Amino acid sequence: MKQFLAGLAMSLVLTAHAYAAGFETRAATPAPALKARDMSGAPKTLADYRGKVVLLNFWASWCPPCLREMPSMERLRVKMEGRPLEMVALASAEGPEDVKAFLAKMQLSFPIWLDADGSNTKRWKVFALPTSFLLDAKGRVRYVLTGPTEWDEGEALKIIESMLAEQAVTSK
Amino acid sequence: MRFLQMLMMTLVLAAWGVRAEVPDYQVFPAKGTQLLLWVASERGRAEPEVLAARKLADQGVEVWSLDLLSAYFLPQLSRSMDAVPPQDVADWLRSALKGDRRVTVYAVARAAVPVLRAAALLEPAQRKQLGMVLMYPNLYTVAEALAAPDYLDLGALNGLRVRVLQPRRSAATPWLSGLVDHLKVYGAKVDPVIMENLREGYWGRETPTEFEMAESQRMDGLLMREIKILGRK
Repeated sequence: MKQFLAGLAMSLVLTAHAYAAGFETRAATPAPALKARDMSGAPKTLADYRGKVVLLNFWASWCPPCLREMPSMERLRVKMEGRPLEMVALASAEGPEDVKAFLAKMQLSFPIWLDADGSNTKRWKVFALPTSFLLDAKGRVRYVLTGPTEWDEGEALKIIESMLAEQAVTSK
Repeated sequence: MRFLQMLMMTLVLAAWGVRAEVPDYQVFPAKGTQLLLWVASERGRAEPEVLAARKLADQGVEVWSLDLLSAYFLPQLSRSMDAVPPQDVADWLRSALKGDRRVTVYAVARAAVPVLRAAALLEPAQRKQLGMVLMYPNLYTVAEALAAPDYLDLGALNGLRVRVLQPRRSAATPWLSGLVDHLKVYGAKVDPVIMENLREGYWGRETPTEFEMAESQRMDGLLMREIKILGRK
């Protein structure tokens, strides 16, 4: 009896969790500052991307769910070629050696930036990896996703398309 | 959705009502002067942990290994640890302290919560006798992106000596200083230790690195070292 109750409780916990999972909407709050470096050591911020929708992904080379979603991010980049979407994958609290070793195995054409001292991870209050933020053209955080997804399909693609549509209207 | 949550809570409480009477623990007996109270994480015990407990017993450290969620018939979720009655765990600590052996508590992940809350229920003199090793403790109440972390209330921990072991390859590593400060606010004496090139739960990973596999085999050595360090303080 108790095993049955536990099983049922567990499946309902998991069901509730599945319902709760997904993108969280945010009330268009200004994004925290991001001061990172690219793989060549050049300083980078998100300021250059103002006027575009931005997908900012916090990840790490040792994090299996992060690596699982990377191919879908690459497919998204190809799919969105020429459209006002920028993607940045920020390696959280990791040095360049580990990231370079990973990039030797997986070819990615979107920018990979480094947050070697974890200061951006702390400023953005990231507690789990991967965590992704979708920023609108004004640099405001509109959606947050904790955990991996398939970026080139389903809910993720629908949200990105809606943000691009909004961006097209406001830029007219 | 609300219905699902209500039903879920009802069933969890019902399951609680038929919980096992006896805590689920394994004893690895030894005749030395050290006693290690090993509290498994919300994922339960992994084989390398059982092996390490056996090796410690072979070296004279008696190990009492407790799987709290199994004992209280709770779902294997981190927040289930918050529902474990600290008074029961405090009674367990007191019984361990009754002997003449030096007692070290080792708790993994969210198991740190009931263990710390239990320590807060001890008399200050009893608390000073304990050494505590916390492997990547999770003490968050809420940790949501873009919001400052909120930590659980623990109770007075004055005199408690704590070693926090934090694998470097973890999303929690940048937040280690906040966690240490939180423990210090309650009066614990805390030493954080970063474990390089390791991930949380490295002994039970699906795709471990060679280094992680080697460290899993050396877990007894890690704990023996921690026991000795706490013994010197």
